[in-house]
Amino acid sequence: MLTAVDLTKRYNDVVALNALRLTIAPGEVFCLLGANGAGKTTTINLFLNFIEPTSGSATINGIDVTKAPLETKKYVAYIPETVMLYRNLTGLENLEYFAALAGRPDYTASQLLEFFARVGLPDGAAERRVGTYSKGMRQKVGIAIALAKGAKALLLDEPTSGLDPKASNEFSDLLRQLSADGVAVLMATHDLFRAKQSGTRVGIMKHGRLVAVHGTDEFTHADLERVYLEHMHD
Amino acid sequence: MFSRILRHEWRLLSGDATLWLVTAVCAAAIGYGVWNGARWVRFQQQAIADASAEQAKRYDALQTQITALRQPGASVSPFADPRNPSSLGGRLGPKYATLPPAPLAALAIGQSDLLPYYFKVSTDARENIVSTTEIENPNRLLAGRFDLAFVIIFFLPLLILALTYNMVSAEQEQGTLALVLSQPVGTGTLVRGKVAVRATVLVGVLVVLAGAALLITGVNLTAAGAVPRLLMWIVAVTAYAAFWFGLAVCVSSLGQSSTANATILATTWLALVVVAPSLFNLIATSFYPVPSRVEMVQAVREASDEANKEGSKLLARYYEDHPELATGDAAQAMTDFNVVRVAVNDDVENRVRPVVQRYERQIAAQQQTLDRLRFFSPAILMQSALNDVAGSGVDRHRHFISQLDAFHAQWRAHFVPLIFAKARVTSLDTLPSFTFVEESTAVLWGRVGTGVMALLLPSLALAWFGFRRLRRYPVAG
Amino acid sequence: MISRIARKEFLELTRDGRYRILAGVVLVLSLLSLAVGWNNYSSLSKQHETAQAATRTQWLAQDKKNPHSAAHYGMYAFKPKSQLAMVDTGIDPYVGVAVWMEAHKQNDFKFRPAQDRTAVQRFGEMTGAEVLQVLLPLFVVLMTFSAFTAEREQGTLRQLMSLGVSPRMLALGKAAGVALALAIVLVPATVLGVVAFMWTTESGLLAGDAGRVAWMIAVYLVYFATLIAIGLAVSAATRSSRVSLLVLLAFWFANSLLATRAAADLAGALHPTPSAVQFQRALEEDLSDQQAVAQRLEVRRAALFKEHNVDHVDALPIAFSGISLQEGEEHANEVFDEHFGRLFNLYEQQNRVLQAAGMAAPMLAVRSLSMGLAGTDFNQHRDFVAAAENYRRDIQRVLNADIAANQKKGQVYLADRSLWEQVPEFEYTAPPTQWVLGNYITSLIVLIAWFAASAFVLFRSTARLQVD
Repeated sequence: MLTAVDLTKRYNDVVALNALRLTIAPGEVFCLLGANGAGKTTTINLFLNFIEPTSGSATINGIDVTKAPLETKKYVAYIPETVMLYRNLTGLENLEYFAALAGRPDYTASQLLEFFARVGLPDGAAERRVGTYSKGMRQKVGIAIALAKGAKALLLDEPTSGLDPKASNEFSDLLRQLSADGVAVLMATHDLFRAKQSGTRVGIMKHGRLVAVHGTDEFTHADLERVYLEHMHD
Repeated sequence: MFSRILRHEWRLLSGDATLWLVTAVCAAAIGYGVWNGARWVRFQQQAIADASAEQAKRYDALQTQITALRQPGASVSPFADPRNPSSLGGRLGPKYATLPPAPLAALAIGQSDLLPYYFKVSTDARENIVSTTEIENPNRLLAGRFDLAFVIIFFLPLLILALTYNMVSAEQEQGTLALVLSQPVGTGTLVRGKVAVRATVLVGVLVVLAGAALLITGVNLTAAGAVPRLLMWIVAVTAYAAFWFGLAVCVSSLGQSSTANATILATTWLALVVVAPSLFNLIATSFYPVPSRVEMVQAVREASDEANKEGSKLLARYYEDHPELATGDAAQAMTDFNVVRVAVNDDVENRVRPVVQRYERQIAAQQQTLDRLRFFSPAILMQSALNDVAGSGVDRHRHFISQLDAFHAQWRAHFVPLIFAKARVTSLDTLPSFTFVEESTAVLWGRVGTGVMALLLPSLALAWFGFRRLRRYPVAG
Repeated sequence: MISRIARKEFLELTRDGRYRILAGVVLVLSLLSLAVGWNNYSSLSKQHETAQAATRTQWLAQDKKNPHSAAHYGMYAFKPKSQLAMVDTGIDPYVGVAVWMEAHKQNDFKFRPAQDRTAVQRFGEMTGAEVLQVLLPLFVVLMTFSAFTAEREQGTLRQLMSLGVSPRMLALGKAAGVALALAIVLVPATVLGVVAFMWTTESGLLAGDAGRVAWMIAVYLVYFATLIAIGLAVSAATRSSRVSLLVLLAFWFANSLLATRAAADLAGALHPTPSAVQFQRALEEDLSDQQAVAQRLEVRRAALFKEHNVDHVDALPIAFSGISLQEGEEHANEVFDEHFGRLFNLYEQQNRVLQAAGMAAPMLAVRSLSMGLAGTDFNQHRDFVAAAENYRRDIQRVLNADIAANQKKGQVYLADRSLWEQVPEFEYTAPPTQWVLGNYITSLIVLIAWFAASAFVLFRSTARLQVD
């Protein structure tokens, strides 16, 4: 679903991403691990065509993102570290707007409310202004947008950082549901525990290179941490 | 998609206090501006009515006097005798040539507070007639008026910039831009939606409020020429607004912060609306300085000194040029004061004409320079368009002055033969009168149209550049 | 401490490319305006001097003629330019440059320079005053709006406060830094301006009146200090640079561009100016009041009869025609004094409204003071109008007295050059600086009040400074 072929991004002399090769199949949850500045966010930005690759290509559903940026965005949903919404609009109004932009202007209010229920937002939250939402609630709205959009791929940029353990756990559950529905997920994260828990594969990045890829079922949480730190050392 | 964005933007905007603040300020400024313009128009109309009342009263008195003088034995000094064509055409019976305010004059006060709109036309030399002015506190002339034109030229761009400076950068700063653009929506479509909502609201509010203000202040929209002028006004204002929206799109596309955008736009506004016009004015007046009129005063004086000295010689020459006026007793006429004066006046005008023309040439050269430079300042373009629409600009005044000159010539042509023939005027009904003939709408469209085109072209260029750059808007990194 | 803060602010500002560009533009514009102002002043004052000399020559070169003929021939008075008009042209473009001084009539000043310009004139002229009153305040806004907010946004304010810097010290230091950055632009322009003034001071209208220059510099300095304080106060009190900038831009616009027009409108609404038609008609009605003239003449005749102990005009040792001409003048003078006096008082009332409106916008106070000190305000125009009118009346008195003394009944009396020379040359000296300041007490007080208020607000807003 998500494919990167020799994807490279250079800023003058600094290589932010070096020849990334990656394929994420439907139903897979791929967690990108790595220090700050390792190239995780760059990868996501490249898939979103927010920045242009220096060389190589990123494709979504087999379509090159630089050639058909609008077409490819029909299939992905993006959840940043904090899902920023229009503060003066209610949750429902926000969802309606984004769903419409995503090409689904036909939802009725009750259908939209259903998405709120599915992501576990409390009753009545949909009618409140987003300005009053907690961070966990915002992230859930992000998932609701992805659901409403019927996204086939999900790009997550440290979506659980700063969430309390319960909210974080609920978020992971939602991710698992999505992947069970056949959504391909690419998630950049620092949270090894969540990566092990909700990921199917993990990739470790360093200085713009993907240095290791492992299945999460290969080892325990403690093993994952050891492998990660080994890579970080030198 | 586009209509979705429109609806959403409208919801966002209407939930924001800025829009209502801007609308309220806009409404107050428009209302006050139109009211002020309408008040000035009423003042002008009153002055014109006063002038014609004064003339009517004077003519009644003159007619009564003429009737009284028909009685045998009645007599009066020739200077006060209305039957004497020289006195009547000169001091006693001058008629007003007036420039009535155009149908939509309330839209822009323009130059009408500075350029005289009524003249008392007599057989006197032209320079004595056209040098009269309306009285006004020079401090107020210097300050200018708070009319609708001021609101549009200075204020409208600021309101537009206040609504648009952060239309993209704010979404970037609050983080919603990335989420929006992760949907299948181009930056261009998004910004087009934003601009469309803001432009519709602002221009709509402006046109509707100005129209309402015109109706409330009692401007007659059914007067001849009012509707085409109103159309021109709407077109011109829209073009001007388009320029500023184009600029805002262009600056937005640079991907700077809201504060940086505000600084850039405010400085650009200052440069285009405040600095450029003053600077261009400086350039025009420095390259084509109009010498102080004191030189002209001296020239006129010298000319009349010389003309007076050789009065009788001049008269002889005058008879050579106008043999049809030489009556049987030409020799006696040589010493007749009134007859000599006609010749002297004529000579003074001939001598002074080159001096006057020198001033007019310099002013024309200034105007020409500015006509070229104005393409670099939307504010000047807008000023001339609004002055044209309201009929308070220099062009309509020049049109009036040429009719005034024609009337002055006609007035003289009526009296000079009577003076030479030493005829007596018995009726005042045959004297020529002045009526102002309005400029044709086609001419007006031509002038306003040029300005509108000159505004639209850069607007399109700015928007084109802006939208092109927006495709590469730095959403991240 | 303050000097350290000032140095940091100054460095930060002057290293900013935007500051350099703006400062460069403002400096170029002020020098340009000064150069053009100087050039205009020199050429115009030369033209006016030449013309004034020429009108005198013409007067003296008159043929033998009856003095009353000469009175009708008259003379012109040309308004001299004041040197400081090179900085502030004030109302000069909107008042006439010349008046014809003839028998029986106080004429209007004719030929307003603005009528010889295009409509673009109404945007203003790029004079020194415009640079000082419109551009520099915006420059100050751009230099001050982020003084506190940017530090807050970067988080450096939190650090500064944790070091125990007093907010007041910080504010004073920042003000000094901005003032220093402003001085880079202002000092060269002022020095050149003062040099240009000294250059022309030998023969000019304000010759030797360096006090005006000093006062003008002081007024603008107080004004800029006020603006810096306002800018810093807003920056300290607002949450973000964006809001601070918007508030200050709105203030700048209202103060520099809107206030002048709004105040002028208000003045006109409170004290409406009559139309020229109305004014002229009322004037002519009073002038042609034959009864008043006759009465006046009767009184004078009775007094003369008594003085010379005669009982009819022909027995008087002087020509009564001269007396009667002069009495006609006296009557007209009263009428002119009343009507022009009323009109000019009306203008002054309007101008007082403009001065009082300075309470809402400090620019109005500065504008009035600047024009006044430059000698291009209405009061000084009126002073010149009065001087010219008095001179006209002097001419009439001399000529009519000559008729009374020399005219013989039944003879044609012609005077010659010796009489023309008896009319003294027209000389005019500008009123002293104290007189000008006296006219603008309101504006002075308003300006100082603005300065004090803005300094107070700055201290208050820094006292409650929020670190983030």
